[in-house]
Amino acid sequence: MSPLAFVAALFATSLAAGTAGAVLGLGGGMLLIPVLTLFFGVDLRLAMGASIVSVIATSCGAAAAYLRSSLCNVRIGLFLSLATVSGALVGATLAGVVPTRWLQILLGLALGYSVLTTLRQLHIEIPEANDTDPLALRFGLEGTYYDAFLDREVKYRAERVRAGFGAMFGAGLLSGLLGIGSGAFKVLAMDHFMRLPMKVSTATSNFMIGITSAATAGVYFGRGDIHAMLAAPVAVGVLAGAAVGTRLVARLRNSTVRKAFLPVLIYLAASMLLHGTGVLR
Amino acid sequence: MRTSLPVERVVGRVLLWGGLASLMLILIGLIGYVIEGSPRVQEVVRSAHAPGRGPALDAYTTLAQLRHALARHPPDALAVAALGLMCLLATPLAGVAVAIAAFWRHGDNTYAAIATAILAMLLVSVALAATG
Repeated sequence: MSPLAFVAALFATSLAAGTAGAVLGLGGGMLLIPVLTLFFGVDLRLAMGASIVSVIATSCGAAAAYLRSSLCNVRIGLFLSLATVSGALVGATLAGVVPTRWLQILLGLALGYSVLTTLRQLHIEIPEANDTDPLALRFGLEGTYYDAFLDREVKYRAERVRAGFGAMFGAGLLSGLLGIGSGAFKVLAMDHFMRLPMKVSTATSNFMIGITSAATAGVYFGRGDIHAMLAAPVAVGVLAGAAVGTRLVARLRNSTVRKAFLPVLIYLAASMLLHGTGVLR
Repeated sequence: MRTSLPVERVVGRVLLWGGLASLMLILIGLIGYVIEGSPRVQEVVRSAHAPGRGPALDAYTTLAQLRHALARHPPDALAVAALGLMCLLATPLAGVAVAIAAFWRHGDNTYAAIATAILAMLLVSVALAATG
């Protein structure tokens, strides 16, 4: 492959990763790393370095737009980041001490269950409000956004805050233990446990993934794993893709975003179970 | 359409301008690299296709290396792109730092404390990773 074709293909892949990441609240590593390593033959180290750049670029590009349109909730994002960052710190400390295979199997089963519950609520546009959680009132975990598809303002308030916070701590713990990104788990915790509108969940996840990844990005840079020639086209492509993704989200139903998220959950559940049981290494 | 809240607005601005400034530096670096017509492009593609051969070619791993490459006349084009990447990586942390000030200014001490705790934990994890 010629250098120009290499850079062009890299840009196109990153554009797709940025668009998907902005819509689904993920960093894009799930798409970028396999494509870079399997199709472009890039060293895994450099692919992971490019992936961390992609996570932060998606977060900056998407969160800036979502914050302007009030889809992203800074208070919910920071409140839950407290759980994920502390979880990641504990996880990184316990890495090598805790047997990760059982954790992967447990996580795979939990994700498998989430697939079933997601299927049950696939068509729910805005979750019905149940009992008010005092913690949601105490920490102001509520907001309003204008839904262009529904052509009205949507008010929401977090529910089951303790469960959501616990799930976020677990997501951070696993991210620290297994060295995996946790964008999908963040979306899941906000959508399932806290019953936030799906678009608010993915938009707020976009804000959070940038914060949690910034800590590890410095390590990758210091190791020389972030090469400008590889990471720069990725950053440009992902930023452009994030701009496309944020415009797309405004026109989508919450239920459509949830449907698009379902294959990610199935992939993650299968991947965790296959790695945990030793079928995949 | 509903306008965003003051804290959201200020954090959003930091992420937007941080992202745009990084993008500009990255593009200037990449365009400069292409204009230089450097044969190293071929080398970079080759190195990216050769797994496990030590640090990547032309990778800047310390601020000192980057400063040295930027101080040249003209500055090294890849170093300009690397500076853009570094700005991009620092942008979310700048967003949290600005959120602390914004919450403080609006009298929301709870969230100013939460954001401070997050920033402190992130800096601790960076320091732990840097010291191995």
